[in-house]
Amino acid sequence: MRVSYIRSLGTFTLLKVQHNSYRSTINLKAQIRTQAMSNQQMFLWWGSGSCPCWKPMIVLAEKGLWKGLPNKLISFDEEEYRCSDILAINPRGQVPTFKDGELVVNESNAICMYLEEKYSTAENRLLPETPEQRSTVYWKIFEASNVEIKVLDALAYYFYYTKKEDRNDEVIKEKVATAKTELSHWEKALTGKSYLVGDNFTLADVCFYPYIAFLVRLGASLKDYPALRKYYDTITARPSVQATWPPHWREGPTAENHLAAL
Amino acid sequence: MDNSKMFLYWGSGSGPCWKAMISLAEKGLWEGCPNKMISFSNKEHKTDEVFTLNPRGQVPTFRDGDVVVNESDAILMYLEENYSKDGNRLLPTSGPERAQVYQRMFEAQNVQTNIIKELVVYHWRTKPEDRDDKIVKERMEKAKVELGYWEKALNGHAYMVGNNFTLADVAVYPFLAFLMRMGASFREFPALLKYYEAITKRPSVQATWPPHWKEGTTDPILGEL
Repeated sequence: MRVSYIRSLGTFTLLKVQHNSYRSTINLKAQIRTQAMSNQQMFLWWGSGSCPCWKPMIVLAEKGLWKGLPNKLISFDEEEYRCSDILAINPRGQVPTFKDGELVVNESNAICMYLEEKYSTAENRLLPETPEQRSTVYWKIFEASNVEIKVLDALAYYFYYTKKEDRNDEVIKEKVATAKTELSHWEKALTGKSYLVGDNFTLADVCFYPYIAFLVRLGASLKDYPALRKYYDTITARPSVQATWPPHWREGPTAENHLAAL
Repeated sequence: MDNSKMFLYWGSGSGPCWKAMISLAEKGLWEGCPNKMISFSNKEHKTDEVFTLNPRGQVPTFRDGDVVVNESDAILMYLEENYSKDGNRLLPTSGPERAQVYQRMFEAQNVQTNIIKELVVYHWRTKPEDRDDKIVKERMEKAKVELGYWEKALNGHAYMVGNNFTLADVAVYPFLAFLMRMGASFREFPALLKYYEAITKRPSVQATWPPHWKEGTTDPILGEL
């Protein structure tokens, strides 16, 4: 079936479908219309550059649900994550905070699973169907938290939260070593591969990539990790990633090159 | 349902291991499940036997035939997807409750991060003379806020989500039990206490109770909680 764009008609796009079946044209239009309309009852509160927020945003974009999604970009500096709208449905006062109609789903991995289960089509699945590959995707989703803990929390936030005069070189050296060990692990996992699991982009990549992008943002060149660097460049070019790129990262590089050692 | 091709490496008292074990027991797969209890103090999790299946040398490490699944939540999902039948499901098959179970399942990690790591691990890894009372006091307050979230989430009900035992309970109960083991009484959290006592009686929980906890009590580091 070949599809070519003709023109946009409000909430759905008319596509010319070269196919013998009239029915398949109707089904495709109906599907696109459903997709285009079904994000209007959603709402996402998110912060720019927050990896947990970026994960469900990538999933939404992969499902064609990011464009036109009702959302609010909150400011971390102004502590808007503690605003009454968020606290009303997320007592923790954190982002991402998400609702789909009356259903509230918080926690980034839960939002990703919910979206995957409710809004997937054959073309945009992010979870393999075979038990072995599927369980490996789950394994990598949860394993990705090690990057957050051993690289971001341990090293990057040490720089954020410790005044220059209080920073200890020995402590930094140890933290850099731990971070490098962590990155080596993923370098090994990605050597000779385009994606973390199998030959397709999956939820494993959704849950891992944002942390790598964050490291690069903070000055990591990944020069000692060629597979990781190549992976970063490839996934960065993905439309769903470009569509959800942290807005303030587009304004210019950051002065805080805390992770230049990586 | 056959567990003969499975193997679980686990450590006594480890919350993540206990999650996988409760899930196996709920599916009738714990009894006779090939397994090895490793000793943390002898660093048995850092041996070739474990490294072969898990490059991180961590537990739980799990194998089912040729399929290797590590990370406790991944093991829960794998067991749920491959070994469920009506009567032992731990994840509602559809509806808003399914998403709510996912939320609580992943939210459970906060108990580890905000209480266990901040107070218990801090206590174990810091020499008594280096422990800072001010830091401990601050962290105790934050721990109470964390427990407050769970007290509120329970809202006096028997389970975290809906009217059945789900992966939400599998994920949070072991951490709560660990807090009780470390001396917490939950006197300011009556719903949580009642919940802890009820879930403790569950056969799958009794069948997988950390062996060394039966031997005696330990230092009540969390007496204030």
